[in-house]
Amino acid sequence: MNGYDPASLARAAAALPGSSLDYEVGSWRELRPVHDHRPAPCHIHCPAGEDAQAYIQKVQEGDLEGAWATIAAFNPLPAVTGRICPHPCEEGCNRGRFDEPLNIHAIERFLGDMANARGWRLEMPPLAEEAPEVAIVGAGPAGLAAAWHLRRAGVKPVLFDRYPLAGGLLRTAIPLYRLPRQVLDGELERLFDAGITFRGQMKLGRDLFLNELEQEYAAVVLAVGLQKPRPWSVDGAAPGDLRYGLALLEEWIDVGAAPLEGKIVVVHGGGNTAVDVARMAIRAGAREVHLVTTRALPGAADAIGPEDHMQAFPREVQQAIEEGVVVHPHTTPARLIIRGARLKAVELAAIRAFKDERGRTKRVTFEGTERVIEADVVIPATGEIVDHEGIEMLPRWRDYLASDRFGRIEGRPGLFTAGDASGRGGSVSAAVGDGRRAAMAVLLHLHRIAALPEEDAEAVSVEALQLYYFDHAPRQEPPLRPVAERIRDEKEIEPGLDAAALEREVQRCFSCGNCLACDNCWNLCPDFAVLKTEEPTEDGSCYVFDYDFCKGCGLCAAECPTAFIRMVDEPTPAFGGAG
Amino acid sequence: MSKTTVLDLRELRRRQPRFTGMDPGHRACQGCGQSLAAHIVTEAAGPDVIVANATGCLEVFSTPWPQTAWRVPWIHSLFENAAALAAGIETALKQQGRPTKMLAFAGDGGTFDIGFQTLSGMIERGHNVLYVCFDNEAYMNTGVQRSSSTPHAAATTTSPAGRMRPGKRHLKKDLLAIIAAHHLPYAATATVAYPGDIKAKVRRAMAIEGPTFLMIHAPCPLGWVHAPELTIKVARAGVETGLTPIVELERGKLVSVLPIREKRPVTDYLRLQGRFRHLLGDDPVAVQEREHLQALADHNIETYGLLAREGDVRDSVTAALVRRGGAIR
Ligand SMILES: Cc1cc2nc3c(=O)[nH]c(=O)nc-3n(C[C@H](O)[C@H](O)[C@H](O)COP(=O)(O)OP(=O)(O)OC[C@H]3O[C@@H](n4cnc5c(N)ncnc54)[C@H](O)[C@@H]3O)c2cc1C
Ligand SMILES: Cc1ncc(C[n+]2csc(CCOP(=O)(O)OP(=O)(O)O)c2C)c(N)n1
Ligand code: SF4
Ligand code: SF4
Ligand code: SF4
Ligand code: SF4
Repeated sequence: MNGYDPASLARAAAALPGSSLDYEVGSWRELRPVHDHRPAPCHIHCPAGEDAQAYIQKVQEGDLEGAWATIAAFNPLPAVTGRICPHPCEEGCNRGRFDEPLNIHAIERFLGDMANARGWRLEMPPLAEEAPEVAIVGAGPAGLAAAWHLRRAGVKPVLFDRYPLAGGLLRTAIPLYRLPRQVLDGELERLFDAGITFRGQMKLGRDLFLNELEQEYAAVVLAVGLQKPRPWSVDGAAPGDLRYGLALLEEWIDVGAAPLEGKIVVVHGGGNTAVDVARMAIRAGAREVHLVTTRALPGAADAIGPEDHMQAFPREVQQAIEEGVVVHPHTTPARLIIRGARLKAVELAAIRAFKDERGRTKRVTFEGTERVIEADVVIPATGEIVDHEGIEMLPRWRDYLASDRFGRIEGRPGLFTAGDASGRGGSVSAAVGDGRRAAMAVLLHLHRIAALPEEDAEAVSVEALQLYYFDHAPRQEPPLRPVAERIRDEKEIEPGLDAAALEREVQRCFSCGNCLACDNCWNLCPDFAVLKTEEPTEDGSCYVFDYDFCKGCGLCAAECPTAFIRMVDEPTPAFGGAG
Repeated sequence: MSKTTVLDLRELRRRQPRFTGMDPGHRACQGCGQSLAAHIVTEAAGPDVIVANATGCLEVFSTPWPQTAWRVPWIHSLFENAAALAAGIETALKQQGRPTKMLAFAGDGGTFDIGFQTLSGMIERGHNVLYVCFDNEAYMNTGVQRSSSTPHAAATTTSPAGRMRPGKRHLKKDLLAIIAAHHLPYAATATVAYPGDIKAKVRRAMAIEGPTFLMIHAPCPLGWVHAPELTIKVARAGVETGLTPIVELERGKLVSVLPIREKRPVTDYLRLQGRFRHLLGDDPVAVQEREHLQALADHNIETYGLLAREGDVRDSVTAALVRRGGAIR
């Protein structure tokens, strides 16, 4: 033993010096620490299923491409969602209970843009000659996401759309100043490069028929969105030249003009379409723009519940107001004042929202609150419904196609639906998530997976974190372009983060529920029972517990800032078994 | 557990990217603050040291015959003479022209009480020794008897809380002031709640030629009667209430303090520990003793100026802040 000669000890020579490593104090343990990766709230709150914690970690580690790939494994459109998603992830973000939430969408956008600029691609399995073909009708975000996930599983997707170009509402309705089309094109290029086939100008009910698709393809996904405006009138009256909001918006985006210059415009509706139409009117040179909605402003105190708020995303409403749109909340058009076929004025009345005995939201107009505003144009934007042409025979839920959470349509094996058309939509990220779930159901139908993914586990709460170890730091948020400038052109109004701001922003992430590699457990274990590994282990962290020496004190779990360590009962060794 | 894993972990332990002065397998209680503190000190001091250890928990739990947890030369002689032992070895080393640094380790009993005389002499004679007192505020190794470091009103086996008296009658000795009166080059306090701060202070002391003194507040789950996982939280509450002032002195003069981020009432500290359980009720004695301890904490805060001032840049080492890749340095 190290050249040690026991005989040189005059006394007590019987005792060979030994290390305490010979004595495994792990036998004292009643509880054992384990690494326990639980989802962060940003992950649970993302309708597209993205795990922000995971990709922010990659950015922190300097692996930008890996970070993007982590997103793209769920969402093929991060440069799009990074811009226009209402980012519920940020509402969920635990950092919001500490100072301000992470600017998750800006990080996502940075990565999405970099992927497009650098031509990053996700690795795909080759498409086998005999790979099954799946028809997807509708090349909006839901259809694109379904195609992406099918392709990644080695299935051949064929996308059909009535329009010549893919993108759905992203191409036809979302204003350019919020989503430059080269961003969309960058994302689409990657999808088509991956071997997803697109066939434009193919309209279901005109060029395509459901029964033929069902015969020709191994499965069919209907991702047709909501295209038909809800019929609109006020007590049966409407101006002769009435144009619906979505159609006007599409025309404006397509040809770059809308016939609203110098007009007083009243937009009716409280959703995204209404707000975008109102902002279009401002940009088209309208004299005044009024937005009339029966709902309350986002976050307003007089709302009777969350369902009473305008459905439009709060950020968009706020920007519209900044740009000069006059919003009339809890108001409805009560009468149109028409002379000849032309609109002269609109009579508005105040609305009261309340809950009836069964808890349903009801709205009544208040007699005596009527007032008249002069108006040249009224534009209805009260929502769109599914165009059921060619799919009349399918079961419905309200005006949508009825299906389960994975888009399966009862009584029609092999037929699926996803996105806005399913009634589970409302945003790009929701459509993307829905498209992915439908793809999973298709894969199950084709026996390419054994089971559908389970519901997400509960997220790590802010109370579980050790916030003591973090310092306050401001959210990185580049300012929007000034109003006077942004309403004059089509250029994007929200700038992205630069690399330095990105770096500052990702450092703010708590890494909820996953290892932050902070060394606390390694530094604080009184028994040196936490060892650092050179390469990440199976659980992704670079630490292991040495159960030979861990006494189970629980200190590491109590001081893990991210709640990644949990104490569990020590498994009792089988009778007679060696410990 | 399979043989290969055992071998792998032993090999991995050998390759850990830091120096360790101690190995596991020692017999400290679960969550022992003193064990943690000794690990941190020896890591920061490095391999070129000799440790003279007084009798006490650290000595006993680290050297269960015929094993030792020490990976540096280590010697034990008596309860009362760690400083004298270190001073003697230091003198011998000097004679031999060897630059090895002497460390003296002792508990609060071995420092505040029985070893106090040899400590004072070692400092007075100017030996090149870093003396570290692991302050767990009682004689723990022999079954939690009160020492002159035990805080006022804490219950120990020899100062029980009962009808006649609510725990220890006397005050905690202000040992730091006595040490400061020796006008030694460097004296400091630290706590296991801030390992980065301990390491910085050890390195500072190691670089000084002459006597230096470091007192580390080290919760003892057994004697303080708290759950073993709470060791760090108890220690941190001591700091944030003002009961554990963390300071540095040079030549007896205060040169820096670990500022209190958010001042908390002393009950936040007392609540966590069974040794103060008798102080949490509504009876007049408990109320009065709580007020007394609060006054002592406030006195510390005022004497040392412990409250962080507006605009103070937070020193991230002492604040124990973390981010990916470890503590922020
Ligand atoms: C004005 C406006 C602004 C919005 N702003 C935002 C926003 O800022 N952020 C956000 O997250 N969401 C926003 N949304 C919502 C978002 O755009 C939708 O939720 C999302 O696009 C739904 O995706 P989808 O794939 O289900 O449907 P769609 O995007 O509607 O795509 C459906 C596709 O199916 C095609 N199709 C339809 N019928 C047929 C047929 N019979 N045959 C062949 N093809 C057919 C269509 O041409 C279209 O390409 C907005 C919506 C509107 C209208
Ligand atoms: C002269 C002498 N008296 C008494 C003892 C018994 N004894 C051994 S350790 C100890 C208490 C040690 O207390 P402390 O120094 O505070 O260290 P701790 O065990 O708390 O770490 C006592 C009283 C002794 N070893 N020698
Ligand atoms: S702090 Fe980071 S991991 Fe936690 S919720 Fe926010 S983004 Fe997600
Ligand atoms: S701190 Fe160390 S001894 Fe305590 S439970 Fe964690 S690994 Fe085990
Ligand atoms: S304490 Fe830090 S390093 Fe250890 S598991 Fe938790 S996050 Fe990872
Ligand atoms: S009695 Fe206290 S100081 Fe001694 S080993 Fe146990 S916890 Fe540590």
